[in-house]
Amino acid sequence: MKDNLERLIREKQVREAQAQTRRHFIKSCAQGMGGLALSSIFMGCDPKPSTNTKSTMAFSERDLNPLATLSPPFSPKVKSVIYLHMAGAPSQLEMFDYKPQLHKYHGQDCPQSLLEGKKFAFIKGTPKLMGPQAEFKQEGESGNWVSNFLPHFKSVIDEVAFLKAVHTDQFNHGPAQLFMHTGSARLGRPSIGAWATYGLGSENQNLPGFVVLTSGGNTPDAGKSVWGSGFLPSVYQGVQCRSEGDPVLYIEDPDGITRNLKKSTIDAINQINKEEYAKYADPEILARINQYEMAYRMQIAVPEVMNINNEPENIKQMYGVEPGKESFANNCLLARKLVEDGVRFVQLFDWGWDTHGNIREGSIDLGLRNKCREIDRPIAALILDLKQRGLLEDTLIVWGGEFGRTPMQENRGNKEMAYKGRDHHGDAFTMWMAGGGIKKGAAHGKTDDIGFSGIEGRVSVHDVHATILHLLGFDHEQFTYAFQGRNFRLTDVEGEVIKEILS
Amino acid sequence: MEVIKQLIGRLHPLIVHLPIGFITLGLLVQWYARKRQQYAPVVPLIFLWGGFSAVLACITGYLQYLGEGYSFETVKWHLWLGIATALFSFIMFAKLSKTSTIRFLHKVPTALLSVLFFVLISFTGHEGGNITHGDDYLVEPLPNSVKSALGFETFEEKEIVLNDTNWEDALIYEDVIKPILNNKCVSCHNPKKTKGALLLHTPEDIQEGGENGAVILQGNAEKSELFSRMTLPMDDDDHMPPEGKTQPTKEEIKLVGAWIDAGHPFNGTIKTTGLPKELFAAFFPRKVENDYPDMEITEASQDSILTIEKAGIHVDLISKESNFLSVSAINKPTFGDDDFEILLPLKTQIARLDLGGTQVTDIIFEKLGQLPNLTILKLDHTSITGRQIKSLTILEHLKSINLTHTDFEGDYLSDLSDFQSLEKIYLFQSKVAAKEIQTLTNEAIQIDYGNYELPPLASDSIVY
Repeated sequence: MKDNLERLIREKQVREAQAQTRRHFIKSCAQGMGGLALSSIFMGCDPKPSTNTKSTMAFSERDLNPLATLSPPFSPKVKSVIYLHMAGAPSQLEMFDYKPQLHKYHGQDCPQSLLEGKKFAFIKGTPKLMGPQAEFKQEGESGNWVSNFLPHFKSVIDEVAFLKAVHTDQFNHGPAQLFMHTGSARLGRPSIGAWATYGLGSENQNLPGFVVLTSGGNTPDAGKSVWGSGFLPSVYQGVQCRSEGDPVLYIEDPDGITRNLKKSTIDAINQINKEEYAKYADPEILARINQYEMAYRMQIAVPEVMNINNEPENIKQMYGVEPGKESFANNCLLARKLVEDGVRFVQLFDWGWDTHGNIREGSIDLGLRNKCREIDRPIAALILDLKQRGLLEDTLIVWGGEFGRTPMQENRGNKEMAYKGRDHHGDAFTMWMAGGGIKKGAAHGKTDDIGFSGIEGRVSVHDVHATILHLLGFDHEQFTYAFQGRNFRLTDVEGEVIKEILS
Repeated sequence: MEVIKQLIGRLHPLIVHLPIGFITLGLLVQWYARKRQQYAPVVPLIFLWGGFSAVLACITGYLQYLGEGYSFETVKWHLWLGIATALFSFIMFAKLSKTSTIRFLHKVPTALLSVLFFVLISFTGHEGGNITHGDDYLVEPLPNSVKSALGFETFEEKEIVLNDTNWEDALIYEDVIKPILNNKCVSCHNPKKTKGALLLHTPEDIQEGGENGAVILQGNAEKSELFSRMTLPMDDDDHMPPEGKTQPTKEEIKLVGAWIDAGHPFNGTIKTTGLPKELFAAFFPRKVENDYPDMEITEASQDSILTIEKAGIHVDLISKESNFLSVSAINKPTFGDDDFEILLPLKTQIARLDLGGTQVTDIIFEKLGQLPNLTILKLDHTSITGRQIKSLTILEHLKSINLTHTDFEGDYLSDLSDFQSLEKIYLFQSKVAAKEIQTLTNEAIQIDYGNYELPPLASDSIVY
């Protein structure tokens, strides 16, 4: 029996060896070569960005200078976007979504009907409802609600339009952040900023088109993919700048290398690249030449724009900046400077909003209040400062987290927690937008009595994306990139522009 | 046998094209042969073939008429004209062939016969087309005004006119639902062309439904075909309106659904239906606020754009919807008054001009007066004082001027009062004193003086 089996295997090996003769090998080599040749012949079939109008040649100005400015298909309302993301998910119930009824139910068991079929990150069994831990007041001419956690916000409340019933289908930070910034909870899609710079380019040739600034001591849970370029060319990904130390890592010349030496090095490299280009005519080589030159220019321009020390004292005070430290206030001031200098998309991440109630920093009544203080003055200052410089009408500011928080107090492990906290909640949360094209003082959407779900004007993450693209002059259904055989959109197959908050 | 009859009948639409082709060819060659006699002998032969194929077309046509259940009334004209065409083809053969013995034909002028023949075959073909595609097939794409001038019945394409103040008083059916159905459905569901035996032009007919029964299930849009068919994917065969026809907008579909859910009332105003405002907001007129004048202009020359871009200045279309340009010297801080000349080839197209942070001085104002369509002007971070700003009075579209971080002086603020369309001036960090703002008397102009403050609060320093 065993013998037979071994004989069979040996026979199979011999047959296989016989089948693969030298002739077969040469034959398949020839086919392979043919295939290679064919693929280079058909290189011209590579789909070029459909938004390109400046040239329709095989390789265009766009290939040589990927951040060259392009015109949007429709009249844009804004030229730049500042996206403020509170990583960890801020509690809408202590900031903007006032639910007086929730006070009444404080301490009562959450009705089973609300819990059925829902997934929570930590809540177990039957949690208890928890009333708002902040005091609310209607402010401004719009009479929109804001809590005492954000005392400075009232000075800009009439500039913003609230989305009170945003919903997401993700309830964990990483996927939810990816969803919020790339339109998909899975890795691999380009972020909003990458889409924007891909579609519009960037005006200032000395600065990146898409800058990311982080604060709060940590980067977002989803990692750098939230400002990644996905399947778009990598030149469109966000450039992370630091407000402490070198703004961009490794941008300084190494010790002993002078600026002149650097210049001649780059010139020499580019000379070789040009010779290569003369030989192979590969547009990628031209793009590389351009990138070296831009990096050289950035060495001067980036440290200059990232330096907030030269700002007047009253401006520094208005933002509440702390030069030399990493802070949200510094980043807000930097965001203004970057937009002023023509940067297309500025993405701010502030970490530390995950208020479960397990530790003091992560408590609804204490930690959250500190976080609110850290962003309150800088955000109000950012809006006012953009406004007085005439930049607010050309800039869109978006504020939000990756989801909201539950009306119930968290009971991790079915036990009472050390501090007051709320669990992750994607059914309903608040975001707001301000700036060009936004209806000032609007409030769209409404949640139920306890803030569990949206009952009116529910909008999805895709709707938010569609609206951002609309304001930049794109139809989110037409703005596509061909990849792996199909056209991809930021909004996938969904999304509707939220006209209710547009002016 | 019946099957074969029907099958042959269905070949009629194919076979009719043979006589059409032959006869057209015959007429063309006949015309061509007027001066080139060597072609003349072939003409009778072509008409002979035309005649035989026309007979074949008549037979198949008759079989189709029997097999497909058309009424005689419908096909009458086409039938007789078809037979006439076949006969006429043989007559033409007889007239033109040399061997012909029919005398009286030689007395009729050939040209007259040919023209008659052309009219006859065109008319026959047209009648046949009308049977398969419907009477109004040819005129359907024409605008309504032309249609009614030609004597065709039209269904009014009424626009939905709602606005922020009157929307609640509009009639739900008459002003909202009916225009949607009229514009998007009634062209196929009307008394003349009743696809699926469904009529959608009156309340009674809508309630009546079509060949599959009612299209509205009381109070349930999801189960009403009038709504659900519009929400099917485009490639679904049941999707309405069919591919290629004008599709209703998302807002219109939503509205029809909400109307059915509300019990599809035919009377009463929007208010009585209790439908929320957000359903109608999309139909409110939207004031278009663009960074360029509301007019059409010619395209700027690519050469001029490239020359200016080579000088380091951004030139971009504001959007692909118009030819107006946005020009920015953000990458050319050395831009001075003399550099302005290079922009002049684009003077009609420039609507947005950003000269912020450049070397321009007061001399620039007089030059800027040459840009008739300038709408947004940025002169921030320059050393202009405003001495010549009066030269911009002639710019009838100028909406916004950014003068922040300049040496602009309060003395020249009153010069701006005469500006025709000016809406916004930014004066933060200029030399204008706060009390001088009142010297600008034009109330349409909004001044942003800036210098906003966020006074310190006790809570600023409380750490929890």
